[in-house]
Amino acid sequence: MQQRQVSSFLVDFWEKSIETIDEKKLKELQLERLNYSIEIAKKSEFYGQKLKDIKKIKNFDELEKIPFTTKEDLLQNNPLSFLTTDLKNIVRVHSSSGTTGRSKYIFYTKKDIENWADLVARCLFMVGIRKNDIFQNMMSYGLFTGGLGLHYGAEKIGILVIPAGVGNTEKQIELMRELKTTVIHITPSYLLYIAHYIEEIGLSPSEDFNLKTAIVGAEPYSENTRKKLENIFKINVYNCYGLSEMNGPGVAFECPYKDGLHLWEDNYYMEIIDPKTGKILGENEEGELVLTTLKREGMPLIRYRTGDLTKILRERCECGRTHRKIMRIKGRSDDMFIVKGVNIFPSQIEAVIMEFPEVDKNYQIIIDRKGGLDILTVQVEIKKEFFKGEINELRDLQERIKEKLKEKIFVSPIVELVETGTLPTTTGKAKRVIDKRRL
Amino acid sequence: MGKQISIFVENKPGKISKITEVLKNAKINLRAMTIADSGSFGIIKIMTDNNQKAYNVLKESNFLVTLQDVVVVEIPDRIGSFHKVAKILEKNKVNIEDAYGFIKTEGVKAVLILKVKNVKIVEKILKESGYNVVEF
Repeated sequence: MQQRQVSSFLVDFWEKSIETIDEKKLKELQLERLNYSIEIAKKSEFYGQKLKDIKKIKNFDELEKIPFTTKEDLLQNNPLSFLTTDLKNIVRVHSSSGTTGRSKYIFYTKKDIENWADLVARCLFMVGIRKNDIFQNMMSYGLFTGGLGLHYGAEKIGILVIPAGVGNTEKQIELMRELKTTVIHITPSYLLYIAHYIEEIGLSPSEDFNLKTAIVGAEPYSENTRKKLENIFKINVYNCYGLSEMNGPGVAFECPYKDGLHLWEDNYYMEIIDPKTGKILGENEEGELVLTTLKREGMPLIRYRTGDLTKILRERCECGRTHRKIMRIKGRSDDMFIVKGVNIFPSQIEAVIMEFPEVDKNYQIIIDRKGGLDILTVQVEIKKEFFKGEINELRDLQERIKEKLKEKIFVSPIVELVETGTLPTTTGKAKRVIDKRRL
Repeated sequence: MGKQISIFVENKPGKISKITEVLKNAKINLRAMTIADSGSFGIIKIMTDNNQKAYNVLKESNFLVTLQDVVVVEIPDRIGSFHKVAKILEKNKVNIEDAYGFIKTEGVKAVLILKVKNVKIVEKILKESGYNVVEF
């Protein structure tokens, strides 16, 4: 089955000359653009300092001298200190949550937005999505890059886009049926939930819809989940990788061979490093993905540590694209976790808990998946001196913590009050996050 | 003024037996018990023959426990006797937040435990109506 689908649109490229560029030429292009990025980055306050001693590099080995940029750099510095240009040339900002209530801001010039849309178009075209498709974008629109990123890419191809956003499952299903949606962009957990919902209302996911493709991303998921989704809907499911620091979705994308994600090396320079030592690793070696923007002008990022664990696949792809592939993301090098497509750090939850004098500093986060939906549970201990013996007070406390957490992390958790002394203490290697999901 | 013991417990098997074990070892006699649950946790309220001691031993055993003021009133173990108390409280516009009881001598005497906002006023009302209010 896979072979047949591969052959039907393998021959087509969005931009053949660049997608199948000769590997040596690609390397030359990268080196040229790396120097461009470094030079343009120096115009910003942040890199002006950080890179002041860096001269033009002649080969990739010299990159090792350039310090990494980390998410802490983005969180701790004035967001505007990364701009290479006047704010009047910036047309868009996206944001993603960071630790302890701070956010990372990514700024785009008009050219950056166009370039990103072009990359997304390249991804969608690669998996056979064309002008006559109907694309229902079931990702959050707004500061999150998943909604607008795919939207602009799809419009670039000329596809009818339904900006459905997240949630309201009944409406989503109505749209899919009324408008005969052929392509969706969605998180794996929400797609599993929708499958469940469709069956509950007595419809068949594979027969009562016109779906043929799902772009699934924003959360890690396994090959098994992909196969399960493909079987339920009888569609092709493609893995999409991106992060707002690198524009958003469209950094790497699966081709019809579904064996790794082509990372667009004309736009990003990739390295895999040992997250502990920072040493650069070779192909097929697993480590943390480090990316440098090669074409972004408003806010270039140099050697940005993504925190995502993967490896560069050595094997060249049969699809003809020369851009190397990365393995599907295996996990994180930090303690960030993803629930319902939202990035969360334990420290964000901790900060909220600390605001409540009624509860102790110990807490535990449990993530589970039921019926395809992520469930986030936060357990807290009640302080002895605050216990007055009334259940209403405890229910009220539970509700207040829940509301505050929802406000900060954008995911509604279950808050459980537990007995004093039952949670692991902060001393020693306390395991704060228990992820029970089988991804 | 009467006291009751209020204990926080997670809604899991074996939680009650831990409490009863502590009470048994301290030779405390359990008179009555109620449980209010709220999903993953609940509150157990108990009356014993020595509430202060029960509170102390439970606290020492690391239970999340507190003593609460309640009205403890003796009533005849007869049809309609709770109704009489309830009527008196209704007349005085007293809201009963929680109530339970136990029989002291079958057919003779029962004990009512009432959680109310102002324990002292309710005790006074009941005393004036001729009831025996138990002090601890």
